[in-house]
Amino acid sequence: MSKRLWGMSGAGQLAIGVIGMCLCHSVWAAQPDPTQLIKETFDNWRGESSYTEVTMTVHRPDWERSMSMLALTLGEEDSLVRFTAPAKDAGNATLKLEDDMWIFNPRLNQILKLPASMMAQSWMGSDFSYNDLAKANDVLTEYTHKLISHIQQDGHTVYEVEAMPKPDSATVWGKLVIHIRDDGVMLGEDYYDQDMKLLKRMQTVKVDTLGGRPYPVAMTMQKADVGDAWTTIEYLNGQFNIDIPQSMFTKSNLRNPRPFTPKGAE
Amino acid sequence: MRVLLILIPFAWRNLWRNQRRTLITLLVVSVGVWSILTFNAVIRAWSDSSLAGSLKNMTAEAQIHAQDYLDDPDMAHSFPEPTGELLQLLNSPSVANWAPRVRTPAIIQSEYETLPVTLVGIDPDREAGVSFIADSVKQGVQLKDAKDEGVILGRHLAKRLNTRIGKRIVLMANDINGRLEERGAKVIGIFSSSPTMEDSFMFTGLRPAQKLLHADGRLSEIAMMSSAQTPLPQLVTMTRQAAPGLDIQSWDELQPMTKGIHDLTEGFIYVWLWVMFVLIAIGVVNTQLMAVFERTQEFGLLQALGFRPNWVILEVLLEALQIIGFGVLVGSLAAYASVYFLQDGISLEGLSAGADFLGIERVLYPRLEAREFFTTVIVVWGLGVLTALWPARRAVKFNVIEAMRST
Repeated sequence: MSKRLWGMSGAGQLAIGVIGMCLCHSVWAAQPDPTQLIKETFDNWRGESSYTEVTMTVHRPDWERSMSMLALTLGEEDSLVRFTAPAKDAGNATLKLEDDMWIFNPRLNQILKLPASMMAQSWMGSDFSYNDLAKANDVLTEYTHKLISHIQQDGHTVYEVEAMPKPDSATVWGKLVIHIRDDGVMLGEDYYDQDMKLLKRMQTVKVDTLGGRPYPVAMTMQKADVGDAWTTIEYLNGQFNIDIPQSMFTKSNLRNPRPFTPKGAE
Repeated sequence: MRVLLILIPFAWRNLWRNQRRTLITLLVVSVGVWSILTFNAVIRAWSDSSLAGSLKNMTAEAQIHAQDYLDDPDMAHSFPEPTGELLQLLNSPSVANWAPRVRTPAIIQSEYETLPVTLVGIDPDREAGVSFIADSVKQGVQLKDAKDEGVILGRHLAKRLNTRIGKRIVLMANDINGRLEERGAKVIGIFSSSPTMEDSFMFTGLRPAQKLLHADGRLSEIAMMSSAQTPLPQLVTMTRQAAPGLDIQSWDELQPMTKGIHDLTEGFIYVWLWVMFVLIAIGVVNTQLMAVFERTQEFGLLQALGFRPNWVILEVLLEALQIIGFGVLVGSLAAYASVYFLQDGISLEGLSAGADFLGIERVLYPRLEAREFFTTVIVVWGLGVLTALWPARRAVKFNVIEAMRST
């Protein structure tokens, strides 16, 4: 039920949020519930389902390359990413169902289930690890959240939420700091080690309208202490809350892609 | 018999006609015997220490597993905690110590690294006398009991993970149904051992390990040490009878490499014995031949006076018997003194890192075993005298007339 609610359009979401907050907190504007903030942000990011066209640029001091891909998500757990360019990488695909991930390599014509030992490795040579993709949701389930500050920026309030791992949670980070704009746009996520030293940082570098909602259309992931090396993800096109059959998220579809054209956008 | 009584002092006096040559021969024999015995004691101490070390590296003297666990060490191949006849046997005086374990491949993850490791759930009190982990926690604290949820990592693994005591790591392993389970856990202790051990094993309490793997009341392994009263092969047979469905193996089957190295060391001791013996033999034969050739005229004269050829052979053999016997005596006394001097142990602290690498303990305790001591002494003495047959035969091969004529 709540999942459906949170999948609604931005305005509807906000309205529900307002009502919900008003019921529980008399001064919600000053003190929104940080857990709800993160939830809203994730729902804004992914929607009930989503279809996006993305370009990923991996930058290193002596080289840079770009890859294009199509990404489908359904609910909180399932996603399928298929590379379309350059030719060298086209056809490579990654399927995620709950905690499990498979990758498909068209040259080998093989599906490989990612073992736990590989989940921390880099995804397609970028600064994102498979875990960053597979465990994005952990921030909701494995952490406790606290609002630590809010500032005014470009006519919006930007909240800073500190997420501390629950005791014995299966997570390695010391804490996460998530930056969220009041309309549910993710502005960044900072990863700290257990000495509270910044390890890597994801930052939104451009906010625009995508699929009819405010959206972080360009995000950069950069590791601390490495200097001129980063990965940028740019959303070129996107539609949310569309009908995507569950059959898209299967190993058979991973190997033999069925045609899918998004229609019936919200 | 009367001949012997005459010949013994006769041979003895002959020996000391050339004191320098006799002393040198004596030296060769005694140094040879000393080196055989002392090296034997030291190498055996090394080999035993290395064996004890290997057995403490999670093998113990014998292990109980479910069938097929050794081929596929996951929790699907586990067995219930011992009851009835098996438990009775384990708690009987035939078993000195036994330790129940959960042992399965796992992945350990820190903020910086993800590494493969073997997860071992233990009852820390039971590991005493069975494996190194009971007394190898060098920083932090040991697991309190089988319910302790903390983890103990090897020093080198902790360094590679860039983690330390007090930090949280994530542990991933396949549970009893083959599903990947994960859990966060706090590092409470760091153990020091050989680099291989430090990198391959991590320890946590038995109960939390069973819980993580959804295997309550189940074990991967029982490690046991036999007591002095029951020899290991007998204990293995008894255990097989008490637990017919399980796979019970002793260390030499589990670790054929360790067994091989142990046997090789034994072999090496004998190779050394033979090398030294050949050197001694060459020395003795050489000097005895010299002594015989020098006395060609003398032997001729003795025979002309009625000395029988056999007595000449006997006389030369008695010389060898005395000089080798004397050398063996000096050598074995020296070896005994050396080993006595080393009885408090040869400390390898100075090269501890290297000693760890070789998998031996920090202090070696050389011992002379009576049986080996006497075997060596008798073999060297007996074979030494046998080789002296050659110069002895040369002493009677002369034509008496010609021998007396030569100068």
